[in-house]
Amino acid sequence: MERKKKIHFTVITTIIGFMLAVQFQTTNHPVVRDTRDMWELREDLKKEQELQRQLLEEIRTYETTLESYQQKRAESKENALRETVEELRKEAGLTEVRGQGVIITLQPFYAENYVGPVIQTVSPYLLKRLMNELNMYGAEEVAIADQRIINTTVIRDVNGITKVDNYKINSFPIQIKVIAEDAEKLYNRLKGSTVLEDFGIEGLQLEISQPMSNVVIPPYNDSLHIRYMKTVKAEKEE
Amino acid sequence: MWLPLIGLIVGLIWGLLTDIRVPDEYTNYLSIAVLAALDTLIGGIRAHLQNVYDQHVFVSGFFFNIILAASLAFLGVHLGVDLYLAAVFAFGVRLFQNIAVIRRILLTKWMEKRQRFEKN
Repeated sequence: MERKKKIHFTVITTIIGFMLAVQFQTTNHPVVRDTRDMWELREDLKKEQELQRQLLEEIRTYETTLESYQQKRAESKENALRETVEELRKEAGLTEVRGQGVIITLQPFYAENYVGPVIQTVSPYLLKRLMNELNMYGAEEVAIADQRIINTTVIRDVNGITKVDNYKINSFPIQIKVIAEDAEKLYNRLKGSTVLEDFGIEGLQLEISQPMSNVVIPPYNDSLHIRYMKTVKAEKEE
Repeated sequence: MWLPLIGLIVGLIWGLLTDIRVPDEYTNYLSIAVLAALDTLIGGIRAHLQNVYDQHVFVSGFFFNIILAASLAFLGVHLGVDLYLAAVFAFGVRLFQNIAVIRRILLTKWMEKRQRFEKN
């Protein structure tokens, strides 16, 4: 009985102690009475308003920064897209290209004892062969008579006239401009190629210029028609 | 009789260490609860000294008084009357009375002791 009493008292004193401590802590930080008069209040208000103005200004600055960042990001996206497009255009041959390369001049070559028709055109087979040789030797961009050769370019015979993409190739001399990464190499390889002899059989002479540091190849002028290609919709990854 | 004192100190330290603070609106309730608790405690001590202590009365009185005081204060806040003052008054008066009784009892006991000591 006595022990129980003690325990009860202890529990209750503990609770009281806890409550007292809480109360003490709560009232230990009394609210300071506001004793400012009107003018002081006004001054304080002014200070607070100044502070508010400053804060608002800061917010505005940060918002501007944020906006500029967002704009930059959007622009950078746009820029990246533009760059990609530009690159693709370049690859497709829609831009003017400058670089080191050689200029091949194609003209008829009549032997002294030549009898026969005047050579008016170069056969498409020969041109194709030349193109293949050039590609083999590391040519990057080629233009035949200032007609840019692109992936879809056709070289064909239409009614006895060789056409490169619907442009007649019949006025000698024909200039073939070639840009290569290493013009010297291309030049040397061409010199050692048998394609010269092939042209010679047809009565044509290839004159290969010394490697030049600046060859200008014009862009492809016509619009590209893509008929058998469709964009693939992004498939869901499984 | 040291155990309750130790309990009080433990409670105080516990409360101070936990750093609990009551919102300003509830300080009134807490203060009145503290007062009620103190009143019960002092009443309990007095009953113990007068040998009329009953643990059920003591424990139930402790919680009941706290709750009653807090609800009275709550009612007062809602009625617009400072009813908690009534509780403060009642508990205060009883506190003083009880403490006076305890003092007298202790004094009597002490006097008796002294008389016995002088006789011997």
